[in-house]
Amino acid sequence: MTIFYLVKKNLLSHKIRSFLLVLCIFVAFIVYGVLKSFEQAMHSGIELSGTNRLVTVNRINFTQPLPYAYYNRVANIEGIKNVTFAKWFGGYYQEPKNFLTTFAVEPSSWLNVFKEFIVKPEEKRAFLKDKKGVLVGRNIANKHHWSIGDNVPISSNIYSNKKGGHTWDFTVRAIYDGEKEQTDTNQVIIHYEYFNLSKTFGKDFIGWLVVLTKDANLNEVIAKRIDSLFNNSAYETRTATESAFNKAFIEQIGNISLIIQSVVSVAFLTILMVVGNTMYLAVGERTKELAVLKTIGFNNRLIFNMIMSESLLLTVAGGIPAIICAYGIINALNLVVGGFLPGLLMPMNVVFTSILWMILLSVLTGIFPAYNAVKLNIITALHKNQ
Amino acid sequence: MGHLSQQTLAIININIRSIKNRLGLSISTIFSVALVVGVLLCFLAMSKGFEKTLEGSGSEDVAVILRSGSMSELNSVITLEQARIIESGPGIRQWQGKPMISKESYIVVDAIKKSSNTPANIPLRGIDKMGEIIRENISIVKGKMFTPGTNEIVVGQALLNNFKGFGLNSQVKLGNATWEVVGIFSSPGTVFESELWADINVVQSFFKRSGIFQTIRVKMKKPADVKKLDEYSKNDPRLKLDTKSEKDFYLEQANASSDLIFYLGWPLSILMSIGSLAGAINTMYNSVVSRTREIITLRVIGFNATATFFGTIIESLFLTSIGATIGVSCAYLLFDGLTTSTLSGNFTQVVFSFKMTFKLFIKAIYLSLGIGIVGGLMPALRAARMPLVKINSF
Repeated sequence: MTIFYLVKKNLLSHKIRSFLLVLCIFVAFIVYGVLKSFEQAMHSGIELSGTNRLVTVNRINFTQPLPYAYYNRVANIEGIKNVTFAKWFGGYYQEPKNFLTTFAVEPSSWLNVFKEFIVKPEEKRAFLKDKKGVLVGRNIANKHHWSIGDNVPISSNIYSNKKGGHTWDFTVRAIYDGEKEQTDTNQVIIHYEYFNLSKTFGKDFIGWLVVLTKDANLNEVIAKRIDSLFNNSAYETRTATESAFNKAFIEQIGNISLIIQSVVSVAFLTILMVVGNTMYLAVGERTKELAVLKTIGFNNRLIFNMIMSESLLLTVAGGIPAIICAYGIINALNLVVGGFLPGLLMPMNVVFTSILWMILLSVLTGIFPAYNAVKLNIITALHKNQ
Repeated sequence: MGHLSQQTLAIININIRSIKNRLGLSISTIFSVALVVGVLLCFLAMSKGFEKTLEGSGSEDVAVILRSGSMSELNSVITLEQARIIESGPGIRQWQGKPMISKESYIVVDAIKKSSNTPANIPLRGIDKMGEIIRENISIVKGKMFTPGTNEIVVGQALLNNFKGFGLNSQVKLGNATWEVVGIFSSPGTVFESELWADINVVQSFFKRSGIFQTIRVKMKKPADVKKLDEYSKNDPRLKLDTKSEKDFYLEQANASSDLIFYLGWPLSILMSIGSLAGAINTMYNSVVSRTREIITLRVIGFNATATFFGTIIESLFLTSIGATIGVSCAYLLFDGLTTSTLSGNFTQVVFSFKMTFKLFIKAIYLSLGIGIVGGLMPALRAARMPLVKINSF
């Protein structure tokens, strides 16, 4: 007769109770797994940002333009490896609700700065050569069933072209994959030159610059150099690391981490109370039984291990299936909201922290009943009426 | 029947008074229900507050005109020529002999959000006298309105409270121009309170947008005239504009964001209710099992099975109701009126307050009653069906 046999018997002797506790734990870990993955996807822009990438925007706000000339002026600053720029196109496909994250860029420098965009060499050449060509992310290509050579009309909700419409015709020349699984492959990249010549207003202005520094230690110095270069001009700039820029943008939506943290704490607090109390009670009910076990020679360590194993088994029985379900839910959600929230998948660290939480919760819920069982006095316990 | 209800009352009395014997579990049920109710109300109040602010911003008899397909004020571009054509449209109300048309520019600028200390998008709206007259619920609460032709700005009260650096008489640097805050305006519960206002001509020249507007607002004689103006504009090939009532314009923006919060809040609360439900069932089973001897005794001395059934259901409802009361009160005290801001459909911050309403309380209470009834059902059935012979085993 092993401890495991006793643990199994104990849990199965109250099937409904055990099932309810497992359900309770299951729910809490689904909440944890889904929300934590969500939070990390929201912040993936910060984590994936290049350590030596800076973003230079108009000091007034990043929606305000910068002159095209800044691109060449910044390129001459010492300590910079590469520089590129982008202009927000406000793109959509056929209907405004099918929005596309579309940037008009100088393609060759863009691909030098964003090395996480993996493009096949021959496709890259074809895209660089064709001014009306477009580079699209794998996700978007799959979503709209676009393949190389397809002619795709992309509309802008901001600009109009000289033909008098809001729609530009492009040819898909390249499709990029992400270096990492979380890399955003929902972007559409077009040639700035073509866009600039064909739009009716806002000519020779760009949105923001992205600078690659030679060394991350130089980031601060270079940011200052860039901003002081344009100080007191009509278009002053604000330069920050890409991660700081992304973080500020997330903060605009709200303190999402706080909301998620609170909900997760509430979920865990609930199981802590429900499971903790039930375990306490369940062990209390077995006072006599435990006294008998002690009498026939079970030592304190065995008793302690037995009760801790019970609570660990309950937590794992609820927690592991919950993480698997959460994985399924996240993958399903990715299909629905992947366009808005790239990088929505369950990161490995969420799995690891869930396991840590399972261990912690089982210790917290098991420790008091186990301690009580250990310090149980056989004589008094056997004399107890119930 | 009188007999039965007396029995039920007696059993309820016993059950509730014996809760102290199962205090740990009962309290954990109460708290888990309170927490679920709190989470649900927090999300609903957030969604409601945001919706109310946007809904409250729009008038039915004001038409908002944007460039077609632009969806938001930020992306829209309207030329002076187009604005002139609109001026001769139908159904426009007059004010001192002039058509009530406000040509406005909408520029996004940075401000530091107090809660996060990071730059956030806020709107600088360029308006003229008519822009002020068209918005009826605006009042200057401190200082004065900006003087046309100067670089003076007025600041919405909500913006002042949630962002740094806009106090009365302070200097605000936007680009290489410095503006002076000369007044604070209030427009309770609208998005306008999250805006900066300045003179349209000055804004256009500082931001190099002469002759270009983002929106036109037109005060109509009656709400139905919005449609007439839309038809008028659709029939003119030079216009290519979208016309809708200001109310609809903000409603569309409200729906997108508040739906998101709403659709996040409900599934989450329902999921967590399952956890809380498991806790409640567990507690009630425990209650029934620990009173086995008592229940059988009652049955033997003539108490009805139905009475024992209801005794357990009511005990369960009693616990969840306490939980709901705690949850509702705490949510009300903690969240009602809490101000926060988020990015709206116009790509700028909208400051709004969490709004607890009676209807939301009712929803939360339904949820907790649901947990109480479902949680008590199976244990109550067990109590009612308890075989009387079992007493021998004691």
